Amino acid sequence: MSVAVSHISKRFETFAALRNVSLEVKTGELLALLGPSGSGKTTLLRIIAGLEIPDEGRISFVGEDVTEKSAYERKAGFVFQAYALFQHMTVFENIAFGLRVLPRKKRPNAQAVTKRVNELLELIQLPEFGHRFPSQLSGGQRQRVALARALAIEPRVLLLDEPFGALDAKVRKDLRNWLRHFHDQTHLTSLFVTHDQEEAFELADRVVVFNEGSIQQIGVPSELRQNPSNEFVRTFLEV
Amino acid sequence: MKRATSDHWLMRYLFIGVMFAFIVIFLIFPVCVVLIEALQGGLKFYFNTLLSTHSLTAIRLTLLVALAVVPLNTIFGICAAWAVTHFKFRGKGLLISLIEIPLWVSPVIGGLVFALLFGRRGWLGPWLDDHNIQILFAYPGIVLATAFVTFPFVARGLIPLMQAQGSAEEEAALTLGANGWQLFWRVSFPKIKWGVLYGMILCNARAMGEFGAVSVVAGNIEDQTNTMPLQIEQYYLNFGLPQAFTLASLLLILSVITLAIKIGLEWRRLAPNMARPH
Amino acid sequence: MNAVSTSIEKGYSLAPVDTDQLQPQPSSRRVNRRRHILPGFRLTLGFAVFYLSAIVLIPLLALLLRAFTPTTDYPSVYQVLKHVYDVATDERALDSYRLSFGISFAAALLNGVFGFIAAWALTRYQFPGKKAIDALVDLPFAMPTSVAGLALTQIFSNNGGYIGQFLHEHLNWQIAYTPWGILIALTFIGFPFVVRTLQPVITDLSVEVEEAAACLGATRWQTFRRVILPAVRPALITGIMLAFGRAVGEYGSIVFISGNMPYRTEITPHLIIMKLEEFDYVGAAGLGLVMLAVSFCIVATVNFVQYLSARRRGLT
Repeated sequence: MSVAVSHISKRFETFAALRNVSLEVKTGELLALLGPSGSGKTTLLRIIAGLEIPDEGRISFVGEDVTEKSAYERKAGFVFQAYALFQHMTVFENIAFGLRVLPRKKRPNAQAVTKRVNELLELIQLPEFGHRFPSQLSGGQRQRVALARALAIEPRVLLLDEPFGALDAKVRKDLRNWLRHFHDQTHLTSLFVTHDQEEAFELADRVVVFNEGSIQQIGVPSELRQNPSNEFVRTFLEV
Repeated sequence: MKRATSDHWLMRYLFIGVMFAFIVIFLIFPVCVVLIEALQGGLKFYFNTLLSTHSLTAIRLTLLVALAVVPLNTIFGICAAWAVTHFKFRGKGLLISLIEIPLWVSPVIGGLVFALLFGRRGWLGPWLDDHNIQILFAYPGIVLATAFVTFPFVARGLIPLMQAQGSAEEEAALTLGANGWQLFWRVSFPKIKWGVLYGMILCNARAMGEFGAVSVVAGNIEDQTNTMPLQIEQYYLNFGLPQAFTLASLLLILSVITLAIKIGLEWRRLAPNMARPH
Repeated sequence: MNAVSTSIEKGYSLAPVDTDQLQPQPSSRRVNRRRHILPGFRLTLGFAVFYLSAIVLIPLLALLLRAFTPTTDYPSVYQVLKHVYDVATDERALDSYRLSFGISFAAALLNGVFGFIAAWALTRYQFPGKKAIDALVDLPFAMPTSVAGLALTQIFSNNGGYIGQFLHEHLNWQIAYTPWGILIALTFIGFPFVVRTLQPVITDLSVEVEEAAACLGATRWQTFRRVILPAVRPALITGIMLAFGRAVGEYGSIVFISGNMPYRTEITPHLIIMKLEEFDYVGAAGLGLVMLAVSFCIVATVNFVQYLSARRRGLT
């Protein structure tokens, strides 16, 4: 088991974003968090990354309790919905960032950084784009750069917040296939948030259905379709 | 063809004419007068005045004051903006309002408060006397009064700027393992550096030109506690009008440079043109 | 709907979770100690609050307390308050209020007129030198007040060789060292406030609304009075109040041009300095409180006007 979420609750002012949520992600699994907007799935993802502090509950990575650890100690690879690329840095510098801020002892030398970044640029199929700035890229390209930046630090888990949300249909489809392919090769434990059930079913090994801050059902796609555990899951999936 | 929303030509000429007249009389004319009067005695007189002991000590003191005040207010501005824009905490609105106080009160009040604290008959006056510490009528008092008056300049420019930028890039840096220091210098500072410069320029111009607050705490000791604006007054009161204008022309040049940088930053949209000017 | 809400009530129990692993241990229910995600909260807020207190709050508190605390000269609270009251309502002080607040208000209104004209011309018309003029508007912000005061005094004095000399010789109208001089200096100081508050509002005014008004048969003047003026009024009032607030506290430029004659051309900030030089700290603090109170009223007015206009925009 790679990521364990136990009894997490989170309120914003008077709004209960998450109510006693528990979840386990198996190593090498690609898991989708599916639900309507406001159902708490993004909040859970941010709590796992350490970008939001839960009111109650614990988080552990590969058996290590990280609840008290800050985001920069957890180093979950996080891909933001609006990418959050560093606008003043080139694509190369964006991807190299995570390597260059490593503690001095662990920090690779300049050559190693260049080598690693070039590998990642190769991986995301943008080998010639290192010197460009994020503002000079298309949406799909930015998305891939954000992914490469997150992968550069060799995270134990990859978290993607609505990874295809801001893209048009064609690019979406391509990128989805690419991600599935990438995951099949690397088997990096990954969670992604989506409100699009087709996306969740096509891509994920298992799907977690959220509503109003709690998990409604967890299962492989076929299981959810054939055997929805309650009325909400049935209506939500039939749409 | 006349468009429905275009103004009558008479109104147009009237408005432009009135505006030009106002700007020429109130803004351009004073600038010219300072330069004309300063150079009336010839270049030799001009430079002799600037290089006189009175002027040089005033220039030196003014620079030293700005050297202390601008960095202090800049660090404060960055800290305040960081705390206010990246965190939720109780009393945030109050903090933002309190930062703006010095913009609203008279500069004379800015001097008065320190006179009441450190003056001979002020709260701490006797204690300071006993320990032979001089704050009022000395450099520390001038720095404090100037810091009061220029207090909000950096902060109030940075807060809206950083609010507009949000925290997303900082969060991204965090998930990539950057510590606080790396996060600030590599991610946040490059985004706000022009805004910081903008605030520093305004703060510096006001610090070097401040008159009211400083005149309360400086005590007009010639060749000791006179900053440039105070020395201008001193020249003026001693019937040294040409000398006053000479020193004034130096401050004028500073303000023109300030204006040029400010406008340059605004036109390049590197800094926000503040809706509420001060 | 009903089915959905019942399922929510059941909540997490529906989720098939490995319960052996995730027994709610006592420690897992503990409220988290860390409160903030991004670093530096305590450091930055700590320094900000410390510096704010040292430079602004504690000094202002010293002023406030000075007007209420007994001293050797005024050994009881009653005597202190009486002295503060005497100084603050003394004939010289009253004259200085009349002058300070009266002329500041007049200058602010003048700025309202000229500021509106300039803001309108700068946003709606095309003419050569527009960008340069727009840049020049900020000059009074950038120019030290003493430089402005010195220059304006020279221009408007009876023997300066400029406008003042002309007016004096031909119309026997004296400007420098009279309240007129103060009015001129305060108009200079306050000019950018109105222009800079109005400009964005006039830019945002939709031309379509004016076109609609014209299509409905309104004359240009009617459109101006009924459509444009109401839309810019809050900003105009805000700009005028900002100019007023700045003018009330202004000292540097006035000292040169007013002559500082008690009862005639002495502004309140100058009277405060006079009190300090007489070592009448309590009296100075009392006058300072009067000025603080006026500033506070101006801030409150500005905020109220902005609140009203925000609410109106929210409703429409």
